[in-house]
Amino acid sequence: MNKLLVSPSPHLHTRTSTKSLMRDVVIAMIPAVIVSVLFYGWAELLVLGVSVASCVLLEYLITKYLLNKPCTVCDMSAVVTGVLLALNLPATTPWWVVFIGAVVAIGVAKMTFGGLGQNLFNPAIVGRVFLLISFPTYMTNWAKPNGFISTAAVDAFTGATPLGIAKEGGVAAVEGLDYMDMLFCNIGGSAGELSALAILAGFVYLLARRVIKPYITLSILATVAVFSGIFWAVNPAEFTGPVFNLLTGGVLLGAVFMATDYVTSPMSNVGGIIFGVGIGLITMLVRYFGAYPEGMSFAILIMNAVVPLINKWCHSKKFGRA
Amino acid sequence: MMKTFSIGGIHPNDSKISKDCKIEVLPVPSKVYISVAQHLGAPATPIVKAGDQVKVGQVIAEPAGFISAYVHSSVSGTVKSVGPRKDIAGNNVVHIEIDVEGDEWIEGADLSDTIVTEIPEDDKATLEKIKMCGVVGLGGATFPAHVKLCPPPGSKAECLILNGAECEPYLTSDYRIMLERSKEIVIGAAIMKKVLGGCPAVIGIEENKPEAIKAMSEAVAELQKTAKGYDGISVMSLKKKYPQGGEKQLIDAVMGRQVKSGGLPISVGAVVQNVATSLAVYEAVQKNIPLITNVMTITGDCLPMENQHNYKFRIGMPLSYIAEVAGGIPEEAVKIVSGGPMMGKAIANLDATTVKGSSSLLYLTAEQTVRGVESACIRCGKCAEACPMGLEPFLLNKYARNNMMDELEENAVQDCIECGCCLYSCPANIPLLDIIRIAKGDVIRIIRTRK
Ligand code: SF4
Ligand code: SF4
Repeated sequence: MNKLLVSPSPHLHTRTSTKSLMRDVVIAMIPAVIVSVLFYGWAELLVLGVSVASCVLLEYLITKYLLNKPCTVCDMSAVVTGVLLALNLPATTPWWVVFIGAVVAIGVAKMTFGGLGQNLFNPAIVGRVFLLISFPTYMTNWAKPNGFISTAAVDAFTGATPLGIAKEGGVAAVEGLDYMDMLFCNIGGSAGELSALAILAGFVYLLARRVIKPYITLSILATVAVFSGIFWAVNPAEFTGPVFNLLTGGVLLGAVFMATDYVTSPMSNVGGIIFGVGIGLITMLVRYFGAYPEGMSFAILIMNAVVPLINKWCHSKKFGRA
Repeated sequence: MMKTFSIGGIHPNDSKISKDCKIEVLPVPSKVYISVAQHLGAPATPIVKAGDQVKVGQVIAEPAGFISAYVHSSVSGTVKSVGPRKDIAGNNVVHIEIDVEGDEWIEGADLSDTIVTEIPEDDKATLEKIKMCGVVGLGGATFPAHVKLCPPPGSKAECLILNGAECEPYLTSDYRIMLERSKEIVIGAAIMKKVLGGCPAVIGIEENKPEAIKAMSEAVAELQKTAKGYDGISVMSLKKKYPQGGEKQLIDAVMGRQVKSGGLPISVGAVVQNVATSLAVYEAVQKNIPLITNVMTITGDCLPMENQHNYKFRIGMPLSYIAEVAGGIPEEAVKIVSGGPMMGKAIANLDATTVKGSSSLLYLTAEQTVRGVESACIRCGKCAEACPMGLEPFLLNKYARNNMMDELEENAVQDCIECGCCLYSCPANIPLLDIIRIAKGDVIRIIRTRK
């Protein structure tokens, strides 16, 4: 030792880094990824591969050549966006549509705002909603889960999601659906909506690793349950019930992985609860009274826009100040 | 539910590697350099000059103002010079250089092992002794102890809190004295509590030190059985969390009261003293020994077990000498910290000497201490979650970088206790505290000029 290093305190640092946090999010999504690949086969793998590869590549190219900023690919946030986008798309989505989704997510929603930390909206959801509006045919024909057998089978069996069925055919049309099927992934929907259990496993992992706090997720789920519970209790013939609403239309996926995105959610716990309740309410209003059968994506985007306001009003409680 | 403070806090690795190393007495070197600025407040004024003969415990510098403290010689011998010398940060401070000859103590100092349990009646005399012996707070701030023990008129001490939390990782000196000098610490507490008007005294120790909790509880029980003046002293075990030993945090944990922003502990009836200070009070009042020794930890992950130590040192010993005696500086160390890794100071100058508040030589490796490259804030809120003062460091960081003084003050940057929890926790390696520390200084200056 020749020269002593002198720098201000503290002299130690946590092992947690942006990269390790993002890696944990990716790990938490693995159960959902496995389930969707098992059930949709090669098609899903293709969507995942294209989505992740395009997100990472785009982030690399944009930071390097357009922004001349230090490359941020290593922080793994682009991988998170890629996986999330893929889990939000039907397995039948053509690769070039997936690529456009990635361009919108990374190029528009993330990088034009200045990259990780600066974006107002969740990139994966912006990508998804863009595709939903621009390519409605590809986006509403959900593949029916059909095992890891052949892509042909998946292509052939496209059908509507339970929510779509309920929207068109009324409550009676979904009566035959088995909730156990929903829990254990035998229902139609975007890849990541398949199994509630797989997503919940990811939630538990994120909590255990202290990556996220439970407030946002739980307040979304509670709001959806209470809101639909009331309507359902009043008029079960017209409105779908709480269990149905919790298990369909990406509510779980959104509540666990998308609404909890650090950058686009409020900083404080109280803010998180307000945010979650808002998402839950908007989702249910869209579902019951709006034109789209689901609503989760729209709800998150709308509440993303409100986050700066929430942050302004919800400050943490200070020590020794009334 | 075990008690702790209510907002924020972190759980860094304990790393109390040297906890089982008994206190050893460091041999006196041939020369010492004693700083006259070993306490918070005005540096003391030297009253000796080159050529003077001094004894161990003799006053060599006098307080220069109300908030200042006496400094005593830690050795016997001849004063060689009085003049500027660099301290650990590399700043020039007046030091008194003494050539050591023998070990002759001042008259009245009781060097025997006998434990004196009888608490003196005369409070005034007790306070005078604490002041004359140069006792200062040894928990980090080195605030003159007698000042804290005289609450301003109109305020009353309701609880004396002894800080035995030692919440900083690595440090084990307080732990060792709680094991090896338990009774003396309790007697010190009884003395202080009497001076404060007989309020209860609580010794707060974190749960991860069960042996210390046991030793201190036994000492309290035995003294209560065998001597007078020990009622109302108790040991409280606290949940482990950093910064438990922060004055405001400890008061919150023990009494459930929060000192208002800008307020002093006494405003909620609390007086906090470190366990090492309590030991110094004992030595001063019961044994007539001024504060010229303390215990420091020599530790670090890169230090072999046999070179880990808890040393009883005398003030004025060069740090390089201590490092040498302890077995040398490990190859891998890139930084040596005096104090804990969270709030201690990186040593710039190893030729600097020990002061009353010295608590460690902590060797850190590059892997442990070199900071990662700063990246963008991902708004994870971990800094705010960690802040024990309930501040929002990410926000203060933003305001500070844009020189927004009004917003900084509104968001209480001046309340920051510089505990480092925010910087420790930030996954994006943003130097939050570095920036907040500067902003805090600026805002406090602005507030002062306004008054
Ligand atoms: S250093 Fe200051 S701002 Fe940072 S956590 Fe501690 S009190 Fe809060
Ligand atoms: S901990 Fe760091 S990255 Fe997280 S909000 Fe605070 S400043 Fe931003």
